[in-house]
Amino acid sequence: MRWAGKDALGAAGVLALLALIPAVTHSDYLIGILTVSLIFGIWAASWDFMSGLTGRENFGHALFIGAGAYTAALLNSKLDLSPWWCLPAGALTAVGFSLIIGFPTLRLRGPYFALAMLAAATIMQRLMRIFWEFTGGEEGIPGLDPLFESHVGTYYFCLFALTVTTAVLLALARSSWGTILRAIRGDEAACQAAGINVTFYKIAALMISAAFAGAGGVLYAHYQEAVTPDVFAVALSITIIIMVYVGGMGSIYGPVAGGIILALLPELLRGLGEYRLWVYSVILMLILFFAPGGLVAPLWRRLTAVAR
Amino acid sequence: MFNILVYGAVTSAVYAMLAVGFTLIFGVARILNLSHGAFYGLGAYAAYVLTAKLHWPLLPAAVFSVLFVAAFGALVERFLVRPLRASALAVLMITLAVALLFEQGMFILFGSEARNVPAFSTATWTYSGLDISGQRLLTLAAGFVVLGVLYIFIQRTRLGSAILAISQDPEGAQYMGIPANRMYSLVMALSAGIAATAGVLTAPFLTVQPTMDLLPMVKAFAIVIVGGLGSIPGSILAALLLGYSETIVAYTISPAWTEIVSLIAVLLTLILRPAGLLGTRAAF
Repeated sequence: MRWAGKDALGAAGVLALLALIPAVTHSDYLIGILTVSLIFGIWAASWDFMSGLTGRENFGHALFIGAGAYTAALLNSKLDLSPWWCLPAGALTAVGFSLIIGFPTLRLRGPYFALAMLAAATIMQRLMRIFWEFTGGEEGIPGLDPLFESHVGTYYFCLFALTVTTAVLLALARSSWGTILRAIRGDEAACQAAGINVTFYKIAALMISAAFAGAGGVLYAHYQEAVTPDVFAVALSITIIIMVYVGGMGSIYGPVAGGIILALLPELLRGLGEYRLWVYSVILMLILFFAPGGLVAPLWRRLTAVAR
Repeated sequence: MFNILVYGAVTSAVYAMLAVGFTLIFGVARILNLSHGAFYGLGAYAAYVLTAKLHWPLLPAAVFSVLFVAAFGALVERFLVRPLRASALAVLMITLAVALLFEQGMFILFGSEARNVPAFSTATWTYSGLDISGQRLLTLAAGFVVLGVLYIFIQRTRLGSAILAISQDPEGAQYMGIPANRMYSLVMALSAGIAATAGVLTAPFLTVQPTMDLLPMVKAFAIVIVGGLGSIPGSILAALLLGYSETIVAYTISPAWTEIVSLIAVLLTLILRPAGLLGTRAAF
């Protein structure tokens, strides 16, 4: 295990820091935004697993998030199912959506996958408004059960979920699986020539990515205790992509950090909350021009190289 | 029947104007322009500012809006897209950033409520029990004119030949002395201008809002995929196909289902004929 040393130490340090926060503060507001930022970490990591590794950029990650969130909301509010059952159900629905979009588009080269994901998420958002009898329209579905009675409980569960997500995705990304996915990004034709079923690996990666994103969507729905069509918004998909860019594509842990930092940033700089997307798009432009490799992951690599 | 015929034609004309520009810049410069919807929206907002705030007469305001957006498109190509052309993903992201900045910019400047742009024609034609606003007919006519002029420009002029040459073989064209970069800027301006024309013309009967850029862009994607990426006749055919199927669905089933039409069309195309109806390049 090449990465056992400093990386594990760094991870443990960050984890300990995040775990200690509720002990320091009792502000529900702060715990709340931290919970959301952990969920963003899950979304960013799951985006990175598919798109960062294979280089097939997904412009509609919100499709999976929304699929998970609305599944949970419908099951919880209409059938009174416990949030704990909604978690696997939401993840499964997201996987179903990933098959519908991934199967026709991922066997093709070219921008079809990116465009189809963007289109699907946008259209789902419209459908949630149009079929308001079932989905509550613009107001969405309110009054969901929370996962835990206390905010701190939810926070710790989200931290646990983020840790599991990151660990699983990192382990996959650093296994032979991840090597194949990265090889697909490098040269798809060569992979095919080597006898690798490229389409299978891409679709499988998308399914895994969708499962985690959907589960994140369920967590988000139960944390908010409501869903609105905005969980399908392109703005959400784009926010996640920007977080991955800031973190450093293809590293999994970078996007997790990028997600947490960027989700906290506008809240910490008070008054910027309203201009969140504006700030993000400026950050995106700066990153594209001046740090195309991202910030967090390259920084961490340099740090560990110095500490050696 | 008659209303399906007319409204379908109007919808198709708008879709064709949007899709042609989108496919043009992809076919020529390989730029997948996610800010295409923003150009459409910017055209509508420019017309709104000029007529409502600066009290310009409508015609000069419309012409100026289109030229302004065309110039904006050329600037985006020159300063944002060109330095990043080496990476297709970076181009996607930067055009996406432009779209995001448009949405946020309009939201900050004008708020989220819908704005009004005056119509060129307030007349209404009644024919066999159907009321058709003059503006819609004008949009239809403008669609024909824009596409016709574009066709003549590309097929019959030197500049058009240069654009075609670059789309067929960029390196070869450069060896023949065609300045590829300048052509890219020109095509981007052209595509932005056509999108803005659609924006100005539809603004009176569609809503002008910061988020107005998204759905037209999604429709443009869908049409371009169905018609074949990079093929102009393909996207016109697909625009007719989608415009009419949406109108038929709206009248026979329910307007609620129209949004699904384009998604199903995209998925079916990618399963059955990935290169698109008239696409020349094999997609896989």
